[in-house]
Order: sequence, then C-alpha cells, then structure tokens
Amino acid sequence: MTSASDIPALPEHLYVHVPLCRTKCAYCDFFSVAEADLPLCVDALTGALVGQTLAWAQRGLALRPLQTLYIGGGTPTMLGPALAGLVDALATHIGVATGAEVTVEAKPDSLDDALVALLAEAGVTRVSLGVQSFHDDVLRTLGRAHDATRAIAAARSVRKWNLDLSIDLMCGIPGQSMGSWLASVEHAIATGAGHVSVYPLSLESGTPLAAEVLLGRFAEPDPDIAADMMIAAGEILAAAGFERYEVANYAKPGAQSRHNTAYWTGKEYLGAGPGAHGMLSATTARASGFVVPESAARVRYAIACELERGLQSVPRVEVETLTAEEAAREDVMLGLRLTRGVDVVLVEGARVGGVLEHFVGTGLVERADDRWRLTERGWLLGNEVFGDVWAGE
Amino acid sequence: MSGTPCYPYPPMTDPTLIRNFSIIAHIDHGKSTLADRMLEVTHTIADRDMMEQVLDSMDIERERGITIKAQAVRLYYEASDGQTYQLNLIDTPGHVDFTYEVSRSLAACEGVLLVVDATQGVEAQTVANAQLAMNAHLEIVPLINKIDLPAADPERVRREIEEGLAIPADEAVLTSGKTGEGVHDALEAVVRYIPAPAGDPDAPLKALIFDSYFDAYRGVVALIRVVDGSVSKGMKVRMLATQTVTDVEEVGVRRPANVPVDELGVGEVGYLITGLKDPSLVKVGDTVTLAKHGTVDPLPGYREVKPMVYTGLFPIDGDQYPELRDALDKLQLNDPALIYDPESSHALGFGFRVGFLGLLHMEVVKERLEREFDLDLLATAPSVEYHVFKTNGTSEFIHSPQDMPDPGTIDHMEEPYLKVTVLVPPAYIGAVMELAEEHRASFKDMQYLSKTTVELHYEMPLSELIMDYFDQLKSRTKGYASLDYEYIGYRPGDLVKLDVLLANKPVDALSFIVHKDKAYARGKILTEKLREIIPRQLFEVPIQAAIGGRIIARETVKAKRKDVLAKCYGGDITRKRKLLEKQKKGKKRMKNVGNIEVPQEAFMAILKVDD
Repeated sequence: MTSASDIPALPEHLYVHVPLCRTKCAYCDFFSVAEADLPLCVDALTGALVGQTLAWAQRGLALRPLQTLYIGGGTPTMLGPALAGLVDALATHIGVATGAEVTVEAKPDSLDDALVALLAEAGVTRVSLGVQSFHDDVLRTLGRAHDATRAIAAARSVRKWNLDLSIDLMCGIPGQSMGSWLASVEHAIATGAGHVSVYPLSLESGTPLAAEVLLGRFAEPDPDIAADMMIAAGEILAAAGFERYEVANYAKPGAQSRHNTAYWTGKEYLGAGPGAHGMLSATTARASGFVVPESAARVRYAIACELERGLQSVPRVEVETLTAEEAAREDVMLGLRLTRGVDVVLVEGARVGGVLEHFVGTGLVERADDRWRLTERGWLLGNEVFGDVWAGE
Repeated sequence: MSGTPCYPYPPMTDPTLIRNFSIIAHIDHGKSTLADRMLEVTHTIADRDMMEQVLDSMDIERERGITIKAQAVRLYYEASDGQTYQLNLIDTPGHVDFTYEVSRSLAACEGVLLVVDATQGVEAQTVANAQLAMNAHLEIVPLINKIDLPAADPERVRREIEEGLAIPADEAVLTSGKTGEGVHDALEAVVRYIPAPAGDPDAPLKALIFDSYFDAYRGVVALIRVVDGSVSKGMKVRMLATQTVTDVEEVGVRRPANVPVDELGVGEVGYLITGLKDPSLVKVGDTVTLAKHGTVDPLPGYREVKPMVYTGLFPIDGDQYPELRDALDKLQLNDPALIYDPESSHALGFGFRVGFLGLLHMEVVKERLEREFDLDLLATAPSVEYHVFKTNGTSEFIHSPQDMPDPGTIDHMEEPYLKVTVLVPPAYIGAVMELAEEHRASFKDMQYLSKTTVELHYEMPLSELIMDYFDQLKSRTKGYASLDYEYIGYRPGDLVKLDVLLANKPVDALSFIVHKDKAYARGKILTEKLREIIPRQLFEVPIQAAIGGRIIARETVKAKRKDVLAKCYGGDITRKRKLLEKQKKGKKRMKNVGNIEVPQEAFMAILKVDD
C-alpha cells in the first residue's frame, strides 16, 4: 500500500528563466534572445513558461506551495506587465506559501514605477536589481543599457513599494578605479537595499568583452585588484550593518536570499524555461518520469538553450546524475560557500575530512564548533578548496 | 598492405638489368609523393591499396611528411628499350639527424634522383644530400618536381642546380608527384643514366646492411644490398663488425610487403631474416658475409652511431615509470640509435636520461612514446655530451647537468662542435650573422650559389644549435633559410653550471650548462620566463638563478589571492563543477616540485630564452 505521504512532493523552490534581453551585455554568456528575434509575442512566451511549470504539477508529484520563487534571466522585466501576470499565474496554479520569497530579477532600464506597482500587487516580495556599477563609463564598458541615474530611480521605486531590494555590483572591470568601485558600493548602501551581491567580473570566452581583451583593447582584469576590491567592499558593507553570508552575498539581518541559499544547501529546486536548471532527488526524479540509473541519488537537469524545444511543456533537457557520495561531496563543496560553513557530520558522510584537514595546514579552512568553514584567507581562494572537495580523497 | 605482382620473379636478375637508386631531397620537396607515383605506374601496388606516402609506414611520418626509417621497394619497369628492369628504390630519411643512415642507404645505390622543388629551388639539405651522393661517387640525376604549381619556375631552379651544385641540369627531368606528369620520364632516366651494379658473383658473399627492423615474430630483419656473391635461405652468415654468426632464415624482396625469394644475387636489394632477438647485433653499415671462408674486408663507411642530444624523460605520473621503461625497450628494437639509462631527479622522481641523434629524433620519440604507449611525459631541456677534464688528470663524459663535478675539481671542459651550413637569400645575411653571433658561432666563409642564394658556413657548439637556433633562424629569415650541419669534434669551452632555485631550493631538473659569458643573461631571462610560466600558488615563490651558490638573478611569483567562482546563475551547479574539474585537470598535468605546481613547459623554458 502506498499512502499519500509516500508520493514525492513538488520541490518548494522554483526558478523560471526568461530568455529575453534588450541588448546582450558585453560579458554575458547566458542564454537570451533580443525581443526582435523572439518568434512569438510576449504573452505567448509567458504562457509557455507557465505551461511548462504547470506540466510539473501533472507529473504525479504531490503538490505543495512554493517557499521561494525566483524569476531570472535574461531580463524578466522586459516582459512588462506580462511579468506580473506570470507571477500571478504561478501563484494561482502552483501555489505560493505564506511568507514566501518571490524574487524578480530586473534591469534598471526596464523597470519603472508602474511595473513595480504591478509586481508588488502580484505578490513579488523582492527585486534583484542588476546595477553592476553606478559609474557610467564602467556601465558602457560592460555594455549595459542603463546609466547611474536610471539605476537610482529604479531602486527608489522598489523601495517606494516596500519591496526587498537586492543590488548586484561587479568589480574587476577593465577601466574601473578603486574610487569608482567604492563609490558604487556606497551608492548601493544608500538606496536602502537590504542585500548586496558583489561579484568579480569573470571573462567568459566568446563574449564581446573577452574578445576586446584578446584584441588588447582592454587590459585583462587583474585578479589582485579584484581581490582588493572584494575586500574593500566587504569592509564598507560590514560597517553599514551587512553581513557576508556567502562568498559574494551580503545581507542585513533577515534579508538573506532564501532562494539562493537553497542552491547552496542541497535543496531540491525546479527550473523552467530555456537555459534553466533544476535539481531533484533521484526519488523525485523517478516519480516525475525521469529514467534514472539505480546508483543515482541526485539528478540535475538543464533545459535546452533554444526557444522551440526549451519552451515546450515537456522540454528537451540534458540530465546529469550523481551518486550519493557525489551528492554529499557536492553538498560540502556548495555549503562551504556559506559563511556558516558545513556540519562535520556532512563532511564525514562525504568522506572529505582529510581533504579539508589538508587546507587547515595552508590556512584556507578552519574547524570550530563542529563546523567546517573557509577562513578569511580562504574566502577568495575557494576554488582551491572546492576543486579538491569535489575530486574527493 | 598487399602488393599485386604483375611480373614473375626471376630467381636472380642479370645485374645489367638492375638499377639501385635513392631519391634525395630537402624536406617537403615531394620525395615521398613521387615515390608513391612510381609505385603506381609500375603497378607495384594496386590502385585500391594505394595510400599517401606508402613508404612512410609510421603515423608520424605521414602526418609530418617526413621519412624516419629507410625503406626499400622493388619495382619492375618495362623501359622504352623493351627490356624489363628490376629497380630497387631505397627511400632514405631526409633529415640531418639521420645523416649516417642516409649515407648507408646511398652506399647501397649506384645513383640518385635529386629532387628539387620547382618553387623553392635548392635548399640546404639539397646541397648536403647532393654532397653525400657525390662523396659516394653516385650518378646524380636532377629532377625538378612540383611543376604543376603556379609559382613553379623550372628554369630558375635548373640554373640553381647548375650554378650552385655544379650538376649539369640540361636534361633535368620535370615532374609533378601530384599529377603524375613526368614520372615515366623519371624511370626512363633511372634506367638510362644510373649504372648497373658491378660485382663478382663467384666471390664470397659480401652484402651491406643499410637498415634493420624488429619483427615480433621473426626477430631482427636486415635490409641488405648484395655486393658480391649471393645469399640464400639456410646459409650461415657472419656480421663483421659484431662478429655475430647466424642462420639465414629467409631472404626476400619488398614489394613493399615481404615476398620471399630463393636467393639474392649480385646487385640485388632485399631483406634477410636473421632470427636474432637482439637488435644491437645487427648494425646499420655492417657487412654480411659467409660464416666460414667469408671475406675479411668489410665494406667501407661503417661507424658506431652516437647520440648527440640528451634529455631527461619523466612520467608525469610517477606510477608510469615501468611502462615508460617497457615502451623505451620496445622502441629501441626498431631504433638502435636510441639509448637510455635510468635517471633520478629530486624534483621529478624516476625517469630516464635518453640519448638521441638530434632534436627531430627526440621529438619523434617523445611523441611516439606518448601516442603509441599512452604516456604523459615531461622532458627536461636537451643537453649535449660534455667532456670534463679534471685537475687530477682524469676525464669523463657527462650528458646531464646533474653529473657535472664540483667546479673546483675541473681543469677544463670541451663541448661538441658543428660545421653549420645556412642557405639564405642575400637579403637575410645580416639576420643570419646576428643570430650566429648570439649563438657563439664563428663565421668561416660565404659564397653565392646563385643570385638568389648565399651559402654561409659557421662553426658553432651543438649546445647552441639546440638552443632554439633553428626556430630563430626560420623566424628571422621569414622561413627562407635552410640549415644543415655536421659534427666536427670537441673543442674547449668556458662552461659553468647554472642552477635554478624555486622557493630557495635547487631544482635539479632545471639546471643547465652554459658558457660563462652567456650565464648572466640567460639566467636573467630564464627567471623572467619562469615567472611567467609558473602559475601563482597559495604562497609566494621566489625564483633564483645561481652559479656555484652565487645568486645572479631573482624573480618572484606572487601568492595567489583570488580564485573563486562567485556568480551562480539560476542554480547552474553543473557548470561550476565542470570548471573546477577543468582547473584540477590542468593542475594534474603539472609537476609538483616541493609543493610548487610547475607546468611542463617550465623545464623547456631555457630553450625559449631568445624570444
């Protein structure tokens, strides 16, 4: 006899990818198309994203309301009022728990006061604003479509409608001075954001910016300068009451991103839309129709980066399976990104205690109160540790 | 590969109907393609079995368009005089590393086809090979190839051959290996101009070994040219240099697959299966005769082949040491010039000090070890064999910087020298001179071979030649220069050992021997190079160059401060992991030297100090 409680439930975290951008930023290698190239209207795109998400509810999993919903991209705000409709439809058909975190990613150039009002009404609780810099020259290098004035206005609107605000900033950009960087951090704090993400630029091959660097028109970002910028930003944010809770994320108390934390702590999440990713336990994956080998404990899937097959209600996906031991190593690797680190029990289960012990010697990792975590020095050298943890003993 | 014989095999051919010839050329002048066409037009190989560069049986030979092993193939050609001739084509290595092998192959012939590219004209190895042929008193038939190319200028090339080589080229054969044009003319020229072999059929057997290879089932197989007498299955023969006596298990001819025959007579070329399991007993250039009442006069020209260039080969993964040893054992069976001794390095662990005929030989062997035996190898900078004379009156040869004795015990040292020939258009004489100066070369003389080609002669240490000289020569002359060299013996040199220290510890595999006058500059550039090559580590790494404990140059690789993937787009963990895996894999290809990850190219960095 199978009781209702044995039926695997729908994950409580959902990521929806809106593959639409006005212009492609110079450093971005993620999947998006320009509106002009979109073969279908915005409403149809929204409909397809809803349809694909709803199809999950029909795969035999037990329904339960979402704890976090994150609509990212691309540029979700380019959907305009349809974005509010998308949130509304997902809330109606899948269900969103009381107190859930509903985040929408936005670019300043496609977010105005009216749209924020609509989003707030549809149940959005948080806006992640891709500002990157409050310096116009730097924004031009990045190929962003907005300027600093526009960014400040967009941030004001978010705060005006009482939504949580997160601001993305990027350092280590060619031509960016330390002064301009620190000013951007100060500006971000001044907007009243409760959450700030601080990323060093990474040059992805194939992007226009990487090409410019190859051609010698821009200097390659100096990793030492980026490190100095990361450290300086951390000091300013700490003084303003922010705490670094992950490698690149700072929050005022209670304002941590619950959605992103799900990624770092081995929670199941669904992805919908071309280019989106999802993670399921093997049990959930089987129950929802994936064919999964016996040895697998975890399934990661990526939806095709193409409009036609990526938007079908049962889209084309690429699947990767992990054994229980691999999943455990992955959990340690991801958990170490968090300031609070990982529990010794998890590390023992993953059998990477020896690996971490080795990094105690080089001063990248420490163990205290039955938890392993990166040291201050290890913070910016995480790959050294993560790579070895993933490789195992 | 199977041949389709179109003519019966007479037991022995009348020597007047035999022609033994070789094709010689500068690299890339189309020698192997031309040989392919000859095999085709004589129906030695059926069209369906034809592939490019038939005689180059190794993958590396085909890919690089070079010939490493000599080959012999018998063709039957019905000439315009109505007679059917037995033609033995002996394909020789075209590279200067293998000059001795070439000379032995030529000794098996009465003449050569001297192939010159109709667009490139006479180049250094054209001259060198032509000289080898002249020294062997061979008939030289000039042949201008690649006439199908739009840039072909046979008239100019004809003049170059006449003026530069003093070879009459009025009747030079014009061919295109690509289209097959002129290939019959070339074979006619072989029959008409190359003399038939002369020998005494009644004298005791005298045959030249011009190459050998190892067959896993049949042992050592010698390629031979019969000079006097004859050889057949069951005979007892003796190799004069090694005094090895063995039974002849089989004789035959190569078409190019082995076809057994009853007997090989005067002037004939073929193979001889010795049944011997030790390749070192069958030496290229040795003479085969009867075990009893044979000749006591060896054929001239035999010498022991000596390696010129040495390098340390180490498995990246120390566990692969036994596999590396087995692989070297196997390669040596077919390449007796390859020698090796175990070597151990503090930095690199266990490996081998391997001796090669030259840089090409070294590259080819390393590539074969990695490809055919699936090994991941690290090579240290090549070195030459130095002769160290000590104050106590003794002397020793060393071929690794690690073996250099304490400087206090050294009276003086000598190093191998070369006579170097460079052919270049006059516009580049300055560049060649300048490069020579940088490489301790002393200018000997210069002559115009033609209006467009100058021949320069230098004497320079071999150690300087292997120091990136050839690449530099090519790049500074925009690829126009060609190079040839020959060994002329040892000469004194004021040499010192330069040590490299990483994190204050000497790394033996990075040390090298260098002329005192060059030591400071090379040490400085090397440390700079190493600073670029060695990735940043978790701690600061000082790099120092030192002579006898005195630091002459210093650089520092700063500690790494940032290495983290910060952004996570939409939960794409797979991508993050893949990047980490890639990074980790990159590290695995490096050698861990005292906790420092050192990339392979660091050990070759000394060769790049001229960049």
